[in-house]
Amino acid sequence: MSVVKFARSGAIAATLATVLATSAAAQMELKIIAPAAPGGGWDQTARSLQQAMTAEKLVKSAQVINIPGAGGTVGLAQFVNNKGDANTLMVNGFVMVGAILLNKSPVNLTQVTPIARLTEETQVIVVPANSPIKDAKDLAAAVKKDVARVTFAGGSAGGADHIMAGMFVGASGGDASKVNYVPFSGGGESLAAIMGGRVTAGISGYGEYEGQIKTGRLRAIGVSSPQRLPGVNVPTFKEQGIDLVLTNWRSVVAAPGITPEQRIAFDQLIERTVKSKAWQEQLKQKGWDNAFLPSKAFQTFLEEEIVRVGGVLKSLGLVKS
Amino acid sequence: MDPIAALGQGLVVALQPMNLLYALIGVLLGTAVGVLPGIGPALTVALLLPVTFKLDPAGSLIMFAGIYYGGMYGGSTTAILINTPGESASLATALEGNKMAKAGRGGPALATAAIGSFVAGTIATVGIVFLAPWLVEVAIKFGPEDYFALMCVAFITVSATFGSSPIRGLTSLFVGLALGLVGIDKLTGQSRLHFGVPELLDGVEITTLAVGLFAVGEALYVASRRHLIQEKIEPVRGSLWMTAQDWARSWKPWLRGTLFGFPIGALPAGGAEIPTFLSYSTERRLTKYPQEFGHGAIEGVAGPEAANNASAAGTLVPLLTLGLPTSATAAMMLAGFQQYGLNPGPLLFAERPDLVWGLIASLFIANAMLLILNLPLVGLWVRLLSIPQPWLYAGILVFATMGTIAAKPSVVELIMLAVFGVMGYLMRRYDYPIAPVVIGLILGPVAEQQLRRALAISLGDPLVLVQSPMSATLLAIAFAALVAPFVMRGLGKFKSDTD
Amino acid sequence: MQSQDRRVDPAGIVVAALLAVLAGLIFYDMTTLTITQTYGVGPKAMPIVVATGLILLAIGNLVLAFRDGFPEREQPAHLPIVLILGGLIAVIALIGIGGGFILAMTILFAATAAAFGRRAILVDLAIGFALGLGTYLMFSKLLSLSLPAGPLERLLGG
Repeated sequence: MSVVKFARSGAIAATLATVLATSAAAQMELKIIAPAAPGGGWDQTARSLQQAMTAEKLVKSAQVINIPGAGGTVGLAQFVNNKGDANTLMVNGFVMVGAILLNKSPVNLTQVTPIARLTEETQVIVVPANSPIKDAKDLAAAVKKDVARVTFAGGSAGGADHIMAGMFVGASGGDASKVNYVPFSGGGESLAAIMGGRVTAGISGYGEYEGQIKTGRLRAIGVSSPQRLPGVNVPTFKEQGIDLVLTNWRSVVAAPGITPEQRIAFDQLIERTVKSKAWQEQLKQKGWDNAFLPSKAFQTFLEEEIVRVGGVLKSLGLVKS
Repeated sequence: MDPIAALGQGLVVALQPMNLLYALIGVLLGTAVGVLPGIGPALTVALLLPVTFKLDPAGSLIMFAGIYYGGMYGGSTTAILINTPGESASLATALEGNKMAKAGRGGPALATAAIGSFVAGTIATVGIVFLAPWLVEVAIKFGPEDYFALMCVAFITVSATFGSSPIRGLTSLFVGLALGLVGIDKLTGQSRLHFGVPELLDGVEITTLAVGLFAVGEALYVASRRHLIQEKIEPVRGSLWMTAQDWARSWKPWLRGTLFGFPIGALPAGGAEIPTFLSYSTERRLTKYPQEFGHGAIEGVAGPEAANNASAAGTLVPLLTLGLPTSATAAMMLAGFQQYGLNPGPLLFAERPDLVWGLIASLFIANAMLLILNLPLVGLWVRLLSIPQPWLYAGILVFATMGTIAAKPSVVELIMLAVFGVMGYLMRRYDYPIAPVVIGLILGPVAEQQLRRALAISLGDPLVLVQSPMSATLLAIAFAALVAPFVMRGLGKFKSDTD
Repeated sequence: MQSQDRRVDPAGIVVAALLAVLAGLIFYDMTTLTITQTYGVGPKAMPIVVATGLILLAIGNLVLAFRDGFPEREQPAHLPIVLILGGLIAVIALIGIGGGFILAMTILFAATAAAFGRRAILVDLAIGFALGLGTYLMFSKLLSLSLPAGPLERLLGG
């Protein structure tokens, strides 16, 4: 559904729906699909939503269902089949955009109904404390000199870290298809490789490296957010003249084919959840940044991200056009 | 602060009556959830973490430690009693442990597992106290090429599980390696051998394979031979407890298992599988009772269980000193710290020594609690085996299925379970060893990834594999282990042609 | 190396054939990989190693089948195997169509018990049901893990 069309039909129903939705949502027996195994980021997001919603009595009940597999595309494939299901939401995020392309998934995110972006995590590039590279400009110069010799450690191939490595090399004027990116299985493994001086630089969510940055074992040379993080003395890439902005966001979507009234009911449910004290506490506990974006704005954002990620993956040679 | 005094303070905190109660509850909960196959200690901790939210940091960490150790012990219990290893770390335990249980020696098997875990856990905890800062510097120097060399050592020792014929053993191993190819290639993100089934993109789940081959395969095999031999499981034959001989045969494997487990566990990508299998094959080579291996040798339980527990303690070394979560469980522990706004690492030792030492002390307490709680329960656990055979196996299958879909709720997973069950049956019938399949699935992908990482970093220069002293040494060990049996056999043949 | 009989072991030949097929499959799949790694060894190396190993082992198994001959093997009973596999297939089908976890476990339990010689089907169904119900409740209420739900599970309030 296009944004304009949605807006028109939505506006008519909105006044009526606002009155109805409040009571409707409170009766809802909500299911939240986490397209990942228990314990991971999407699962935790789903369970935090569940806790906040039930604590604030915004729904009658909320149940988390895990459908793990293939960067969330297994869960997405099943979710897309629930046409018109007005009782189910699914958690997803930036990683799913790339996974759909990489896994040649038959279904994609244009088939679901975007509801809201919830949280985001800023990415950071670090180097070992004893590295001659002092800032992002040094790293960019090294990339320009010999892209093969600059090794990046990070998470799974085609994930947020890999995409960021490609964008960094591209923004520094190197050939992104030649980036020497070494994926590691877990945060601990890649951290060890960086600290042990096995690779030139490491990429991950800021939170994952925070402890090591604070103790000085790693040097953060730039963050990927548009502005500096509050209380963190690390310059953005933009400040250093490198055009690289990227955040690892998480969101919720609803099933395809729901009515505008049902969509508004979800919009309001999420809006009230996000504003609740219980949700704010969850954010604080998990160390997530609030990045709430309501449905229309999120839909536009999502469409832009799909195009952008697709472009980067192609430049990395991971997706053949 | 000097470590001994600090540990003493931690113990004082952990020994308060309320905290002891939390430890007890944690151990009970952890064991109850940990016995479910497919739900290993990490998931157990993840699921029960919310329970600990309500407590103060000290109480929560103590309950946490209890859940963790309970979950680990639960996995070994099912491995021994019903041949259903709860997670990959208790695979090696199942090999001899279940044979012991079937021969009426389940009691000593469970006891040597519990006491071995306690001994290893205690030594390893002492190791954390004194060796952590030094060990971690070695550990982070360990690069991809060193891991690859370690994998080579592990591959060579796999032959200990081959049984009588090397060709049959290698066949099993390569089937496991083939299964390891399935799914997304971690280094390029493209998928291999998935045949358009999206559920296969994540590869073959180790527990699904293990439970299918071990539990389902065995149920099929025993059922198909019921008319030939009435398998009679006696819950207890001889002593329920460990005899003097059992003790004499167990204590060295406990110590050796600890020596494998703790340092390898401290490596960021070391894991628990390699030390348990290294320990198994070492015990098999060193034992004075080689004829008992394959029929229930107590060394084959004592060693791997100690290695498993010691490696779990080993993962705390990088976690506490550097804040590196190197296993799923360590990642959950990190989450446990973070719920109080704490980040592990050197800062934590300085900022909140009470918590760090409290955690170390509570690991110790939880370990002891587990021993005190479970030794009396051994008799009860073993009674499980006196359930009439039809119900016992029916229960095992329900259990196996439940574990498989709880961790991954999908029909594809169940189909795989059934297929692996049939495979396990056929392999038993046609005399192919089963353990190498699982080992191939575990080691194959890791070895491939580490080799490719090493070569990517070196831009394709193979010399990197022998340039690091660590990898050169390990490769030399692997080569020696490979050649030694042939040399020995050759010499033996030369002396008396009896082979 | 006991050779009870000079006949060839057909199982060995089947195994050899299966290994060769598996090797072929891996080799074919390897040729479909399009993305190569820029540095070092690519994703095709390991499949080649494994496929080559499987071919060698297929030959090895063939040699064994001819050299060792036909070993003594007991005749297995087929009914129990059919019953257990039938139970597993019923579980897969039931969960596939949304029949729920509890019913699936009830059938699996009764089928396996029957395979081991039990004839009191009703009692076994009842035990299986109780077991399924118990674990379902434990998982959903205590651990908040959702096992496959069907009509019965929805009655329990999911």
